[in-house]
Amino acid sequence: MKNFWYLFAAYSTIWTALCVYMIRLSQKNKALQGELRDLRAQLERVVTK
Amino acid sequence: MPKWWALLLVVLAFPFIYLCMNRVFHATVMYITMNVALMLVFLYAPTEKMQGIVQKIFYFHVSSAITMFFAFFLVCVASIMYLWKHSDWWDAIAFSAAEIGVVFCTLVLLTGPLWARPIWGTWWSWDPTLTLTLVLWLIYVAYLMLRIETYDPQRARFAAILGIIGFVDVPLIRWSVEKWRTLHPKPVLIQEGGTTGLTSAMLLTFVVCLGAFFLLFFYLLRERISVAQSRHTLEVLRHEIDEIYIG
Repeated sequence: MKNFWYLFAAYSTIWTALCVYMIRLSQKNKALQGELRDLRAQLERVVTK
Repeated sequence: MPKWWALLLVVLAFPFIYLCMNRVFHATVMYITMNVALMLVFLYAPTEKMQGIVQKIFYFHVSSAITMFFAFFLVCVASIMYLWKHSDWWDAIAFSAAEIGVVFCTLVLLTGPLWARPIWGTWWSWDPTLTLTLVLWLIYVAYLMLRIETYDPQRARFAAILGIIGFVDVPLIRWSVEKWRTLHPKPVLIQEGGTTGLTSAMLLTFVVCLGAFFLLFFYLLRERISVAQSRHTLEVLRHEIDEIYIG
């Protein structure tokens, strides 16, 4: 099991980086969807006035 | 045509077919394939005699590198299409593929030294392959800084030109691996004469890993394009509201 820690570090790096990127992407997507919903509602209110 | 070549083609075509499927199905297939890939790496693939257990970094390091090359190829194609058609859709694809390509390039640059340290005795060497890969990362980080999130046609045009020029570095990296005498090993996957330097168990594991990374790439691309399109719709809506208030 010589050099096991290098292997462990490599795979941990890959999964941590991918998880951080995927979480950030999904948070960004969620925030944008919320903002879009608010703006659409605002536009509807302005148009119906 | 050798059998492993046909198998590689099938794996490469697989993500294109599943790209047409819905998001949940795509995510499920990606998750299962990734788990199978991990199991093959740690339970099925034999340990290489010379390098030992650390050689198992190869499966995800090389898969990340191939996925990164594909991402930057997509940036190049989408940038050409954007300059030709002036369609926002092509710009969204180029921008999204560049961001994901930078993520995979970062993985290559991080896992490479972790593999190099026990084998070469050094974390980093300024040899042509490694230096050109770092240059590629810097080019596409510059692309992302130039392009930024807000849509501006002039910035998008300049970024597209950089995306096309930057791709020149990719064949240079490939050429440096094959032709220059560097610390980086010569390609083992496809050697001169079309043979492979891997055993059949190693090749199967690698092909599954590559398939899993391509599925992951297309899943991320789909999500990233959705973010880019939402942002564009948001800008259009804001503009409409501003016009109503001003009008």
